[in-house]
Amino acid sequence: MIRVERIHKHFGRLHVLRGITFDLPRGEALVIIGPSGSGKSTLLRCINLLVEPDEGKVIIDGVQVNRPDIRPEWARQQVGMVFQSFNLFTHLNALENVALGPIRVKGMAREAAEEKAKQLLARVGLAAKTQAFPAELSGGQQQRVAIARALAMDPKAILFDEPTSALDPEYIREVLDVMTALARDGMTMVVVTHEMGFASNVAQRILFMDAGMIIEEGRPEEIFGNPKHERTRAFVGKILR
Amino acid sequence: MATAEATLGRQTERAPFPHASAIRITEALVGGTIFVVVLEVFLGFNLLDPALWSLYGSVFLAGIVRTLTYIALVLPVSVSIGFALGWARVSRFRALAWPATVYVEFFRGVPPLVIVIFASILGPNLFPERFQSVQLGLILGALAIGLHSASFQGEIFRAGFQSVPRGQLEAAQAIGMQPLQSMRSVVLPQALRLSLPPLSNEFAVLIKDTSLMAIISGGELFHRSQLFMDQSVLTGTGQLHWLFIVWTAVAAVYFVMTFTVTRAMRLLERKYHARGLEGISI
Repeated sequence: MIRVERIHKHFGRLHVLRGITFDLPRGEALVIIGPSGSGKSTLLRCINLLVEPDEGKVIIDGVQVNRPDIRPEWARQQVGMVFQSFNLFTHLNALENVALGPIRVKGMAREAAEEKAKQLLARVGLAAKTQAFPAELSGGQQQRVAIARALAMDPKAILFDEPTSALDPEYIREVLDVMTALARDGMTMVVVTHEMGFASNVAQRILFMDAGMIIEEGRPEEIFGNPKHERTRAFVGKILR
Repeated sequence: MATAEATLGRQTERAPFPHASAIRITEALVGGTIFVVVLEVFLGFNLLDPALWSLYGSVFLAGIVRTLTYIALVLPVSVSIGFALGWARVSRFRALAWPATVYVEFFRGVPPLVIVIFASILGPNLFPERFQSVQLGLILGALAIGLHSASFQGEIFRAGFQSVPRGQLEAAQAIGMQPLQSMRSVVLPQALRLSLPPLSNEFAVLIKDTSLMAIISGGELFHRSQLFMDQSVLTGTGQLHWLFIVWTAVAAVYFVMTFTVTRAMRLLERKYHARGLEGISI
């Protein structure tokens, strides 16, 4: 579904990603953990080409997308993204936020798009909030609208960039519940998170990254229960304490 | 105005208090009436003096028409250039941003009168001889006012663009929007929300700045009224108190034009209103 091959990325003199390779089969939920500055977010942004990799290949559904003859917009339509800071369009209400992509990008008729948006908002538990503007919603509600907005494009996979890190503790649960339901429905997803409970319950696989490299990967019980690498052990020890 | 308010009924609920614009209009009417009463009753001027208006009436109307013509020419030109400047200044292409900065710094710092004089006197020489005429000089002079205002409007639009957080653009990109689409559907509506109030300000200045055309005999309201007063004083046909009446009438016309445009801008502001982002009210 998603394959990343020997990705390198530099920001100035900083070598942020040093040859990342992984493969994500359809329907799998992959969680990426690692200390801040390890390149997790940059890796996610390379997958939907918000950041252009310097070297290496990003392959979505068998098509290499980081090459000059493919528009990055096309690649981004295949893969949804949910941001740490929600980034809902502040001038649009919840319904319009979700319907905007289908209308403007897919050319869907407004009525059909709004009907679809209503269903998606109901799916994330916000049927009553379709007319609310982002500034009138709690963080948890905003993030659930953002998930609906990503789903509205019928993506082949969704990337989650620390989706609960900006939330007050009481709202984390509702967002994780929506994500868990998505994973159970077979959505392919890559999640950067510090929520170890979510990681061990939902992820089929966990990648541990440090200093721009994948240090270790494995099933949750391996990574958390019996990490092989010293750096993984140190990080997991700090997180689980 | 009443019908405009009625059709806006739905949005009016969003205003900080329900009848804000009705109150503003009442204020303007009451203030204007008090001003007239002071002139008429306490200072003893006859504002509708037939002796004056029989001579000045046609001058007054011709001046208004010419002033409106200049505004109709200059306003759209200056907004277009100002918008392009603001966009260019936030462009990631240095080749666009740099000339825009030079333009803004230059026109912002030079007195508009000087630009008007240069444009109207030297400007026509840039055109082939058969196009050169008094009218061309006037058009170029008026455009010069627009170019000057555009430098200020450029900064207003730049501030608007820069107030839109980077994440908004990223979110638009992430759902697959192309650069121009995300500009139109996501960045622009949010930039305009914050640009419109200072833009109304600049429009008010621009409308009144058309009176600078008087320096090159522009034939607009200010210029014609000044000529009329000079002549009536020199020839002895006029009376001294006409001075107050004429300039009160001129001021009233500029006020009505400015007020109309800024009220119209308020309607636009409501269109771009985002609920929950009203800011504080103290």
